[in-house]
Amino acid sequence: MKFSVTKEKLLEALQQVQNVVSTRTTLPILSNVLLQANETELYLTTTDLDVGVRGTCEAHVDKAGATTLPARRVFNIIRELPSSEIQIDVDGKNAASIRSGQSFFKILGLPEDEFPPLPKFEGAKVVTMRQKDLRDGLRKTSYAISTDETRYVLNGVLFSFKDNKLTLVATDGRRLAMAEIELEFPRSHESDLIIPTKAVTELHRLLTDDGDVKVSMSNGQIAFDLNKTLLVSKLIEGNYPNYRQVIPGEAKERVKLEREMFLNSLRRVSLLASDKSHSVKLNFSKNNLDITANTPEVGEAKESLAIPYKGREFSIAFNPEFLMAPLRALTEDEVFLDLIDEMSPGVVKIQTPFLYVIMPMRISS
Amino acid sequence: MWRFCNTVNNFRMDKKCAQLWQRLSAALKPQISADSFKRWFSTVDLVEAKEESITLSVPNNIYQLWIESNYMQALQNAIIVAFGGPRSVKFCAPSTAGAQTSAEDSATVKEALPAPQVGVRPGTTVPGLNPRNTFESFVVGPNNEIAHAASLAVAQAPARTYNPLFIYGGVGLGKTHLMQAIGQFVWAKRKNVKVIYVSSELFINEFIDAIQHSNLVKFRKRYRQADLLLIDDIQFLGGKERSQEEFFHTFNTLFDGHKQIVLSSDRPASEIANLEHRLVSRFEWGLTAELQPPAIETRLAILRKKADAMQIKLHEDVFQFLATRIRTNVRRLEGALMRVASFASLSGRELTNETVEHLLKDILQEEGRQSITIEQIQRRVAEHFDVRLADMTSKRRPASIAFPRQVAMYLARELTKASLNEIGDAFGGRDHGTVLHACKLVKKRIAEQDNIRQTISYIDSSLQR
Repeated sequence: MKFSVTKEKLLEALQQVQNVVSTRTTLPILSNVLLQANETELYLTTTDLDVGVRGTCEAHVDKAGATTLPARRVFNIIRELPSSEIQIDVDGKNAASIRSGQSFFKILGLPEDEFPPLPKFEGAKVVTMRQKDLRDGLRKTSYAISTDETRYVLNGVLFSFKDNKLTLVATDGRRLAMAEIELEFPRSHESDLIIPTKAVTELHRLLTDDGDVKVSMSNGQIAFDLNKTLLVSKLIEGNYPNYRQVIPGEAKERVKLEREMFLNSLRRVSLLASDKSHSVKLNFSKNNLDITANTPEVGEAKESLAIPYKGREFSIAFNPEFLMAPLRALTEDEVFLDLIDEMSPGVVKIQTPFLYVIMPMRISS
Repeated sequence: MWRFCNTVNNFRMDKKCAQLWQRLSAALKPQISADSFKRWFSTVDLVEAKEESITLSVPNNIYQLWIESNYMQALQNAIIVAFGGPRSVKFCAPSTAGAQTSAEDSATVKEALPAPQVGVRPGTTVPGLNPRNTFESFVVGPNNEIAHAASLAVAQAPARTYNPLFIYGGVGLGKTHLMQAIGQFVWAKRKNVKVIYVSSELFINEFIDAIQHSNLVKFRKRYRQADLLLIDDIQFLGGKERSQEEFFHTFNTLFDGHKQIVLSSDRPASEIANLEHRLVSRFEWGLTAELQPPAIETRLAILRKKADAMQIKLHEDVFQFLATRIRTNVRRLEGALMRVASFASLSGRELTNETVEHLLKDILQEEGRQSITIEQIQRRVAEHFDVRLADMTSKRRPASIAFPRQVAMYLARELTKASLNEIGDAFGGRDHGTVLHACKLVKKRIAEQDNIRQTISYIDSSLQR
């Protein structure tokens, strides 16, 4: 295989596929990137057997072929090369000679037939959607994914395609984030899939605000085709719990808050929330909200916000990190906090279909 | 853990459960808001109330998830009020649930499969221990109460009671169970505790790997930053000098830093072959606890507890049969129980002693063959005659040492299926003729002297326990 390519293009393609390579691999071939050159393009593929990414790169191909090379090392080399033009020549023994300006590198690789191929998607259900919508939806939900590996069904985001709507849900048992995207697709494509955390993180990284992404679903696997990159992932097998159950009914008090101010106050006050109790108290009174936190033996913090509030006076406590996460992810100026009482979950809402259910903490008297 | 209520009988709420549920609900309602109670507990029922646990039936698994994440404290408080003491809470789904529950069931069966015994990156959420190895599931009996008490003390106050804790015992007696129970207990109390559980073989392999890839710094950092180090089967360190030296340094670092070390082995530290003296003395520094094979009462208790845990109902005779016939190791006992239970549930046939005997004939054969080893005989005889185990293999001839040796040889001949040559080898490379002579001599003495006959039959029966 022999081809020449510009440093910027190759670097960009390598960057796209690097993150999937895990640092602790069981098989040595998994720490390599598969390079396939055909007439006009160069494909770079990496995988960790659960998630795989294939990027493309324009190249001037003299001789077609394929090989695999250590991903991390090649990336580091290409990054340091002096000149913009790079020539790569791979011989029959999978040794790659990289030439650029006055620099010469030779890297030994592994044969391409050892590399696990990405799964095929024949007869898959395909849905196309705007990248911006998916990116927004993931941003609003992915922070709520559970990290507890014993409940592996929750170690990912639920993609529920139903009734011309894609619902994204993530929960860890103490809070639940749900976003909806309007989407058209035929009845036959209705399904519930759970995308694992690693794939979600990668996808979020690859998504931009322009263009479309093509989503292909087939048994046990899902593929996202966007911007000349293909991301493939295994799905988590299992039934995602019925999240609708979690969403509380009518709110007793609906409080309108300015998102940024609220977030900043929370952030400041939570500096004094102790490591053990992790809680801040919200005290609602007429047109005022007091946010307090204290750590015994250390100190306390309090901030007051003027808010339009005419309901009854009451207090409720939350884990500050759980409350700040959605506020950081949202971009709207105003958010609504629906509350029932101090022992019932609160719901953060905005104008568009999104909600975030958060369980309160006990207020120790 | 998620379970199926697999028979309708189990699921039918009898009056007692209904009453208890009323009490429990009444104690629970004031603690959580009316809305939450209605949402999460109005469709929940109490299906089983036992001494140590209660089982609640829920419509689907989000209930279990949400209740476990948010309402356990309130639930436990209500349980103490309603039952007088704490109980562990289990969840199950009604058997009428459709495909959804069966998929979840298979999903959790995957979870419940024993985790491979591999060490884990410190600081990750799951310690890589088999979740079934806990103190609650460990059956205590006179054979292991010291080891159990010591383990519990260590788990409750790591590095402040016995450090290091050295547990030894034969195959399948609970060493790994106890060690992992300590790990689970400590980790459950404080999640940011660095618990490392490895087998010594893994330690050695990782060490070798680290040398080869020049990753020693990382390796050392990982092990020396542990708060609790659990090493299984430490006897494999014997003969591996370089690994022993590395372990010596690791041990010192942890010990000086007041971190708890727990070790397990198949024999006491002083009997591990080719183990550096300074390691032996360090292992014996703390508490050494032995796990002995369980007596029949304990074996019965183990069987009953396991059967309860898996909701298997078997006839009392079957338990008796299993407990009497399988004596040496708990693992084999549990395996036999599983086999019998699956046979019963799959074939639906009545279990008689004959069918059980037939089912387990290979296990029973193993039992017969291996139930007594020459080493065990040597130990018991040495203990009884108050000589050292080493005297069994030594060349010393005074009658006070030679006679016990000869008694041991005689018992080896009688109770094991080893050949004369094998017995000779086990007694310090002696000739088969020596063994033959010993047997003849002991036989003659038994016929002549009553007290010798009694002694030998006493040792015999204690071996056959």
